[in-house]
Amino acid sequence: MADVKVEIGQEIQQSAAEAARVLARIFASRKVLAVNLVSSPGSGKTTLIEAMIDRLAGRKRIAVVEGDIETEIDSERIRKHGVQVHQITTRSACHIPPELLVKALGHLDLDAADLLVVENVGNLVCPAEVPLGEDVRIVALSVTEGDEKPLKYPLIFKTSRILVITKTDLLPYVKFSTDAVKTAALAVNPRIEIFETSAVTGEGIAALVDRIEALHAEKAR
Amino acid sequence: MHEFGIAAEIAAAAVSEGEKHGAAKIVTVTVRIGVLRGIVPDSLRMYFEHIVKGSPAEGAALEIEEDPVLVSCPGCGETPAPGLTLSCPACGRDGVAVKGGDSLQIVSIDIE
Repeated sequence: MADVKVEIGQEIQQSAAEAARVLARIFASRKVLAVNLVSSPGSGKTTLIEAMIDRLAGRKRIAVVEGDIETEIDSERIRKHGVQVHQITTRSACHIPPELLVKALGHLDLDAADLLVVENVGNLVCPAEVPLGEDVRIVALSVTEGDEKPLKYPLIFKTSRILVITKTDLLPYVKFSTDAVKTAALAVNPRIEIFETSAVTGEGIAALVDRIEALHAEKAR
Repeated sequence: MHEFGIAAEIAAAAVSEGEKHGAAKIVTVTVRIGVLRGIVPDSLRMYFEHIVKGSPAEGAALEIEEDPVLVSCPGCGETPAPGLTLSCPACGRDGVAVKGGDSLQIVSIDIE
């Protein structure tokens, strides 16, 4: 029998895409703005969330899911700010799988939240491939990491709506060009919105939080 | 980095399509993968080869079509580039826009 070619044209990673659609429906039905916060380890994701919580106090209700390979250190930090938080420990997984996020949501009261921030496992590679049904993906990049990161890890910058440059208070001490990182990020993703922040001085936190509030207002309308 | 899971998904899709079409044997599986996906072809082939053992796709060739990045240059139009770049591969102009390079698709299977 001769060879027959069967055209398929099917996207790979469909099961993850389906789980992400389930999550998106949950977020839509509760009118919660879901933020998937990604970055490399140590870029200041948890500190950024703490700064956002403090800025949003009395304005928007925030719930947090913390993802780490091990330990509950981060969720203990967040809990001190008096918001709902649940910790996912992925054990060996290098990203939060959507199924684990679905389970985690069972521990939170989403009706009592306007904003859900999911802090993904620190990693610029794998979380880019695994959507969590989020409305907004935010990639954080600290000035100590180097301004060429968007070119080295293009997918995560391509799939993010917002780039938050963190630790700008350290700019005098590092060789980091904010202009170079902006050029690189915009080359990968011409629509990416860029915020420059420092949780130490408070620079840029208000602008970022205002933008997130506006995105929530659009969704809740 | 995700080669194992992706190889497993490719193998499952190929075998299930093969069954649908009454294939005794799957000879070739063709996939299209974007250069920005960070997938190592040799790793993908190695996992695929092991996963399909004992299935109708055992011994099948995994053909990988590369989905390049497309550079949109105001001077040269759309030019494929082998990876991410900030300048046009044809004329060297800086600050060009890029698109594509993110496919992850099983294109076809050849069966007998």
